[in-house]
Amino acid sequence: MSALDLTVRIGDMTMKNPVMVASGVFGYGDEFMGLADYGELGALVLKTVTREPRAGNPPASRTAETPAGMVNAIGLENVGIEAFLRDKLPAALSYHTNICASIAGESPGEFADCARLLDSSEVAAIEINISCPNVRKGGMAFGVDATASGEVVSAVRAATGKPIIAKLTPNVTDIAPIARACEAAGADAISLVNTFAAMVIDVERRRPLLAAGTGGLSGPAIRPAAVYRVWQAAKAVKVPVIGMGGIWNASDALEFILAGASAVMVGTVLYADPSAGNRILAGIRDYCLTHNLPTLSPLIGAAVRPTSRPP
Amino acid sequence: MSAGQPKGKATRAEVHRFLAEVLESERLPGDYHRLLLRAPRLAEVAALRQAQGHPEPLVPRSLGEGGSRGAAPGQFLHLWCHPPEQLDHPPSAALLRRPYSISRLRPPDGVELLIRLRGVGGRLLAAKRPGDQLDALGPLGNGFRLDASLATAVVVAGGSGLAPVPFLIARLVETGARVVCLVGAMTDEEVPFRVVRPRVGRATLPEIEALGAEVTFVSEAVEGILVTQVVELRLTEFGDAGAEMFAIGPRAMLKRLHEVTGEHIPLQVSLEERMACGLGACRSCVVPVKSESGPAYKTVCRDGPIFDSTIVDWERLEP
Repeated sequence: MSALDLTVRIGDMTMKNPVMVASGVFGYGDEFMGLADYGELGALVLKTVTREPRAGNPPASRTAETPAGMVNAIGLENVGIEAFLRDKLPAALSYHTNICASIAGESPGEFADCARLLDSSEVAAIEINISCPNVRKGGMAFGVDATASGEVVSAVRAATGKPIIAKLTPNVTDIAPIARACEAAGADAISLVNTFAAMVIDVERRRPLLAAGTGGLSGPAIRPAAVYRVWQAAKAVKVPVIGMGGIWNASDALEFILAGASAVMVGTVLYADPSAGNRILAGIRDYCLTHNLPTLSPLIGAAVRPTSRPP
Repeated sequence: MSAGQPKGKATRAEVHRFLAEVLESERLPGDYHRLLLRAPRLAEVAALRQAQGHPEPLVPRSLGEGGSRGAAPGQFLHLWCHPPEQLDHPPSAALLRRPYSISRLRPPDGVELLIRLRGVGGRLLAAKRPGDQLDALGPLGNGFRLDASLATAVVVAGGSGLAPVPFLIARLVETGARVVCLVGAMTDEEVPFRVVRPRVGRATLPEIEALGAEVTFVSEAVEGILVTQVVELRLTEFGDAGAEMFAIGPRAMLKRLHEVTGEHIPLQVSLEERMACGLGACRSCVVPVKSESGPAYKTVCRDGPIFDSTIVDWERLEP
């Protein structure tokens, strides 16, 4: 069946398929160049940038491997929005697909400043990172509060006509009101989950292993918890939901879609398999062909609808 | 151009991902395991480079077309520890790749690694048998910068830092330099090579000596002396010879070498740090470098692992 159409729309960004690369893991794009056909994927989200450059957290260590996962506390090290636009974005735009920026800040105004500068760039969409657990100011502090989340999204909405995606943290009691606040403030989509707040202790040194003390857990270890958050968020909003958290193969991706996600992002898996996105996309195609699905629509949220029955 | 600080905008040579067949798998004395992999692209060595008229330094990223052909000492492979056909299933342990520096090139197409048997990744790799395949990324990192006109090279290695030393020495000997290799360890067992102690004279490592280096080995357990003390005793000699120094080992050793070589003897050090992507993207494996405007970091995996000792911020580098 050649009529398979996996197109996904986020605001006025059209993606040829629902497989995206998550922010953070992929750097500014050039680091992975040549390791897979990243242009085949729906969109690539580059590493979060802030208005000014940031050195990030002190090293030794910033990352720790854990069972089926990893904990990181990079601390939003980045070159700053100006160097990003000048030195990094042009190379990333050579991928033949949507390139999205991710922004963070310590105030709604700082988010808006970044969005304003990106508005005249060639990025296809802007993801708002209100969910980084590894910085003292800003980051997750916005994402755990519905009012603060809405204020950041409103400020960005006023600064750009680009599609905006609010990236949410799972480190909250109830994600639904936060997702609704972002939607009401003008987000074209919400993406979740960012990492789960986590900690690793070095038993020999009797100290936290990460220099920052705490970090964020990603990888297959968080997948079931992430699917649940996506399920909750998708029931709460009408805008598209982008699901992520430990996706390793096509079956994992389909879980998120069935829970209500219109698209998915891959992250940690790229460190093991740089072509994981392509592998997952091929698996989603196979699934659709096997089940005679012309589009993904019948699958999106199918597990949420109480009356739906498998074919 | 200095290691870790490419001039201008470095155009990145393509990193390759390839399946490497295990040719030999051998348990070594001490805590080590030797893997010989078949990796034709990496094993195309200096002969090819010279034939194409590429000048030193031998930094693959700067070689332009076919940039990843061949490899430089100090570079590493980033290995997936599980069978390649299981890539679709997440493992519960050793989720990330593991970096191993290239220990030797074995013509015609072999690449040798020394795997330390600690942690689950090392044990999984040591369980590989001839005929098994490994999913590898590489060569990664910048590699040592070698000056073809160098008269005397001093290679200082401590303990587990010995893995990349054979490759480095082979290349230095190829350039025509006199190579002095000073090796230190806590005990003989810490070293992945055979230690020989003649009745008279210094202890040595015959496998390293066979590569054409003058080798001195000291262990704290037997000789009761640190390799940095051996270096200090011979500093004037090295300075007078216009030597350059190449060092791999514990940070305390590298820091001491930086202090004693000062401005007189150029020193390149190989640094290690916990890694995730191996490509410079995740910013996990950073080390502090000198900067006039607040903290600054460079990645071990991509800017390094080899750094000019003068750019490292030794005061801020965790021991």
